[in-house]
Amino acid sequence: MISVEPRGHTAIIRLDRADKKNAMTPPMLASLAKAIETAASARAIVVSGVGETFCAGFDLTLCRDDDTALEALLTGLFRCVTALKEAPSAVVLSAHGAAIAGGCALLAAADIVTTTDSAKLGYPVVRLGISPAVSAPTLRHRIGDGPTRARLLDSGLIDGRRAVVIGLADESLPDAAACEARAVELAQQLAEKPPHAIGWTRRWLNRLETWPPAAAPDLGLQTSLALAGNDEQRSRLAALWARLDASKTN
Amino acid sequence: MTTLATFTHTPGGPAHITLNRPDARNALSIDLIKDLHASVRAAAASNASVLVIRGEGKAFCAGMDLKAVLNDPDAPGQLLMSLAELCLAIRSLPMVVIASVNGAAIGGGCGLACVCDLAITHADSKMGFPEVDLGVCPAVVAPWLVRKIGPGKARRVLLSGGLMSGREAHALGIVDHLVDTREQLDDATNTLAARLNEGGYKALAATKQLLNTLDGSLDEAQSREGARLSAKVLALPEAKEMLAKKLSK
Repeated sequence: MISVEPRGHTAIIRLDRADKKNAMTPPMLASLAKAIETAASARAIVVSGVGETFCAGFDLTLCRDDDTALEALLTGLFRCVTALKEAPSAVVLSAHGAAIAGGCALLAAADIVTTTDSAKLGYPVVRLGISPAVSAPTLRHRIGDGPTRARLLDSGLIDGRRAVVIGLADESLPDAAACEARAVELAQQLAEKPPHAIGWTRRWLNRLETWPPAAAPDLGLQTSLALAGNDEQRSRLAALWARLDASKTN
Repeated sequence: MTTLATFTHTPGGPAHITLNRPDARNALSIDLIKDLHASVRAAAASNASVLVIRGEGKAFCAGMDLKAVLNDPDAPGQLLMSLAELCLAIRSLPMVVIASVNGAAIGGGCGLACVCDLAITHADSKMGFPEVDLGVCPAVVAPWLVRKIGPGKARRVLLSGGLMSGREAHALGIVDHLVDTREQLDDATNTLAARLNEGGYKALAATKQLLNTLDGSLDEAQSREGARLSAKVLALPEAKEMLAKKLSK
């Protein structure tokens, strides 16, 4: 469910589950983290998604029959965020179509982000009783504390143009193909730079953001994990399954 | 005696706090701040997931009511400390707080909007921090503006003084949502509040608590230091002279 395409000095890592809008599962997150961690020979990394949608977030249907699934998803996501922050080379991410919740968290950990004008971006999970806190420590450094508050507490989504205004993305393109192509182009430009300069600069920027987090495990991950399986979350997820079942029968 | 701030909550829906001193453009007097403290305590004791703060009448909040306290040497310090504590109390609330900036939000009033988790306004509201123009220091509100829009932009805004339109405030990130006209604001506020109200109480509270920890929102010592600094500058002869001139206009 993760594919890697070497292209020149770059590696294009794609979420490859287009029939599910690249919704993430624990094995997929593990493969993604591994692909980023082992892309050492690439001088720049592109993270993208096959199809029209970068990533619809966690595959929450896994939580239906497995009480531990959400914890596995959150922990897996945190490993991917860590891999992105500590990647050996610069990371450009193509957030075309949509980057929802866990998908948006990947974007917040990348160096440069391209998106599409009509993309839907954000964290619509508090209404499911899930806290997007796992993304807070990286998101606040990407877009600042004020906008982070607005994005994480509000289930509303923003489009690609607005994402560029608030700094969540760097460039907005008309469609998915152009979005990934631009991400690859930007990565190729970064791949031309002296790797040691990119490497040291990234490490210094991480340190300025106090990355890795002082508390272990990270406070954001802990906050999200602490709510996993509580009564509010159970009842709201149960209501979600009921809505999904009703829409299937209709 | 009429209360200068009211708390209302219909169970299941968003709660509301209204600044109710329209004849003084909801300027923050010692009594208004006291009533706001009581309203915030009522909000804390409720089980609302969302709280909307708005001003009765044309203004949201015209800032500190300095006219009333200028001739009492202790009063400005008390007023500023009480405001600093109010800001902390609002930020500490477990629910999501929205400022619906219906009109002028100036100085401490604009600071209140920044303390809220989210703010919405219309294109023609008047917002900003004219403190330096009056010869005083916006030390109480500064940390909240820095958290809202970042230190770089906050520096420019606070040192430049003056006022801006709601549209400009939105472009700077002082407010998160913008509608074109005053007439559209209440509906847009209700829509936003209803959407946030769909959030789980526990999920919202836990997320907000983490954000407060990460951005240093609950730094009481810093808030108190801001109040003391602001009072100190206010007591300088040059500040008093300027204020007396400006406020008598």
